[in-house]
Amino acid sequence: MTPVLDIRDLGVSFGGLKAVDQVSFQAQRHRITTVIGPNGAGKSTLFNLISGALRPHRGQVLIDGVDMTGAAPERTKAAGLSRSFQITSLFSELTVAENLRLAAQVLEPVGRTLLPISRSTRALAKTGQMLDRFQLAHKRDDLVGNLSHGDQRRLEIAVCLASEPKILLLDEPTQGMSHGDTAATAELVRGLTDDVTVLLIEHDIGLVMSLSDHVVVMHQGRKLAEGSPDVVRADPAVQAAYFGHA
Amino acid sequence: MTPVDYLQFVLAPQVVNGLALGIAVVLVALGLTIIFGMLDVINMSHGEFYAIGAYAALALGAAGVGFWFLLILVPVLMVPLGMVAERLLIRPVFDTKDRHVTTLLVTFGLGLIVEDVLKIIFGANTQRPPTPIPGATEILGIILPNYRIFLILVGVAIVLGVAYVVYKTRLGAMVRAAAFDRNMAASLGVPVSLVYAGTFAFGVSLAGLAGVLLAPIYSVFPTMGRDFILLAFTVVIVGGMGSIWGAVVAGLLLTQVQALASLIISPVWTDPIVFGTMVAFLVFRPQGLFGRLGHA
Amino acid sequence: MHDRLTQSMRASHLLALLFVLASLALAAMGTATDDTFYLRLGTEALIFAGLALSVDLLLGYSGVLSLGQALYFGIGAYVSALTLMKVPSFWLAMAAAFTASLLAAIIGGLIANRVRGVYFALITFGLAQVLAKVVYNTRELGSSDGMIGIPVIEIAFGPFSVSTGSPVGFFLIVLVVIMALYALTAYLLDTPFGRVLTALKSNERRVPFLGYSAWRARMAAYVLAGVVAGLSGALYPMLRGFVSPELMFFATSGNAVISVVLGGVGTLAGAIYGSVLLVILKSIIGSWTEHHLIVIGLIFMLCVLFLPKGLAGVLRPPVEAWLSRHRRIPGPVPDAPVLPAIAVDTKAAPQ
Repeated sequence: MTPVLDIRDLGVSFGGLKAVDQVSFQAQRHRITTVIGPNGAGKSTLFNLISGALRPHRGQVLIDGVDMTGAAPERTKAAGLSRSFQITSLFSELTVAENLRLAAQVLEPVGRTLLPISRSTRALAKTGQMLDRFQLAHKRDDLVGNLSHGDQRRLEIAVCLASEPKILLLDEPTQGMSHGDTAATAELVRGLTDDVTVLLIEHDIGLVMSLSDHVVVMHQGRKLAEGSPDVVRADPAVQAAYFGHA
Repeated sequence: MTPVDYLQFVLAPQVVNGLALGIAVVLVALGLTIIFGMLDVINMSHGEFYAIGAYAALALGAAGVGFWFLLILVPVLMVPLGMVAERLLIRPVFDTKDRHVTTLLVTFGLGLIVEDVLKIIFGANTQRPPTPIPGATEILGIILPNYRIFLILVGVAIVLGVAYVVYKTRLGAMVRAAAFDRNMAASLGVPVSLVYAGTFAFGVSLAGLAGVLLAPIYSVFPTMGRDFILLAFTVVIVGGMGSIWGAVVAGLLLTQVQALASLIISPVWTDPIVFGTMVAFLVFRPQGLFGRLGHA
Repeated sequence: MHDRLTQSMRASHLLALLFVLASLALAAMGTATDDTFYLRLGTEALIFAGLALSVDLLLGYSGVLSLGQALYFGIGAYVSALTLMKVPSFWLAMAAAFTASLLAAIIGGLIANRVRGVYFALITFGLAQVLAKVVYNTRELGSSDGMIGIPVIEIAFGPFSVSTGSPVGFFLIVLVVIMALYALTAYLLDTPFGRVLTALKSNERRVPFLGYSAWRARMAAYVLAGVVAGLSGALYPMLRGFVSPELMFFATSGNAVISVVLGGVGTLAGAIYGSVLLVILKSIIGSWTEHHLIVIGLIFMLCVLFLPKGLAGVLRPPVEAWLSRHRRIPGPVPDAPVLPAIAVDTKAAPQ
């Protein structure tokens, strides 16, 4: 079976610095793959390369076996890839429901683009569904800019999911969250794999070990190791580079 | 007319006049580019500050203040004006999301008001202060008005002075630090809000100085800023917004293009050529000839 | 189920309806008193309202400031004038102005949409300035004097016909055209396409990651705005009988921006109100002093600083509140859709 996301020898450099270098791995369908590594290891740059925010200098990105290397974000999105951002990126002047519907709108046939918004029934239904699933229904008409940080982080995931992607890239979804919220988010992410394949960047090692099916360790732009959480944890190179001082 | 005559009596004076205009434009553009580079603010009322400087020189000159003293006095008087404008108009909207658009609109409104105020105080007629340095000098067979020669020399001195302050002094470093990263600068003890107000006032003061210097050549009338500012904006864009050297190079180049185009093609086509250049730069090289100052 | 944006749009519709009623009252009064001056002034205000509408479409929805929207207004006016001098047909003139402004906006959009933010403002400014100067220097287009002698025409639809020379008749025609442009724009903004524009204004960088091409949306908005401006401009020579390069100058573009800010950015109806307000301000202040710029500049500046939602920011919330009382929205939304409209701009949004 083709892996849903296949990264081959991916690389990009800024000036002389190789931000991402010769990174290859695969994400298996309906599994959680987590990318870990110290700050500056190139994790977010990797996400930018995969999602089309940056064009790689070398290597390939295959989504469901289709080459999407260097495609614009709207094209990787169309190919089934949704991503969140490390720093929440939503539409703060719009309401919760409007944010979700904007994302869900891609589910509608093109013919409805110029029809009144109330005719976009699929998007509307999806919006309602996401509001319920993420317990945001009571805040549906709140402006996103007025939401708490935790709610915004949750909405960010909901917005990514509203377009029914095949692959979900989550960049530190628990960033800045309280303990309670972190646990709830972990639970949430675990529940996503029925529908999507998850690629995750996460700093909380405990969370990574309990949540991930597969772990990719990055260090200074390169892939240091990969495998199941246990295998990675036992890897001496990883221990030296990453857990050595943990 | 022989080629030598053409060179001596037509081309050379045109080039020198273009040079004087170029220096004039550079002086106006300098303040504009500094305000943009440091504060990220498009000052649409810059041309009106230039007009204020010219009118101040006219009024004070008529009251008996000597030209040389005006060169110091008017820019100094412009500083509090700039400070107040910054405090009342720029500061309140400086931290909004649409800073560019909002500050542009506010200063646009200010420009309308200033223009009309000048009209009320001084009337709509064109006035012209006496030339401070009369006479002309013949250089290599080309007859040049003394005041234009003076303008070119003073202009060069001002540009060098400003560049020295911005790039070489501790004050300049502080301002550039504040422009680069406000929080970082604040934590290093730079009085950021004073620096911002001061920078705006400095830019405005330069516009005023340009007004004093150019009044004897280009006459004084309430809408004088409006006509000049278009050219100054073009210079700032072509030079690279926020770049001092960019403004200098672009200012001199564009005015030469203008001078020669009006000679060779026709005076009526100079504006489309100059603005066309601006559009072309915005399309193909929006960062201009040189990069930006301050910002990364 | 109505969301907040649909709700605000309904409030705008109600304001637009009030506007139409007021216009009809003016028309009736004008007919009764055999007035020409106020009807002509009102017609001109309406024509410039169309230009303001196009500025608001860009500034209020896709979030870019055009300082040269008069470019398309002027193209519409000149093309309409040229057509009318050859063939005295309203529909042909409108069709020609539509085609010309469409083509021009596509070209202008390809140029202007390469940059954004303040550069967009300056490039639109520069584009308009270039073309205005070219027109100014083209003898075939009347140079600086413009073109005079555009004939009075009969506008025929079916068995009826209205003369552009009839103050009330042409006033009503212009009212219909401008309100049709309003309706078209408002309709498009309440579609998924329109919502993408709103998203562009709020957070452009996120839009591509939702699957929409930001460039295409920006381009579509720009072309639409160009056509709205062009069609409005096409009406100008029918009213005045002449066109001049001033129609493309910065003052014209600037007035449209002032109208939008006075009326309320991002409300469409506000642009129309603002345009009329500006004309009223000018003629009232103009009746006792020639220095109307001070007052207008001052009001404009105060508006930008303290009333970022303009006149519509004052008028619309009560209308919205009234609407939501009369049309229950599910869920607890008493005043949530009302207040934020003002709160958003005054609050520094972290980017």
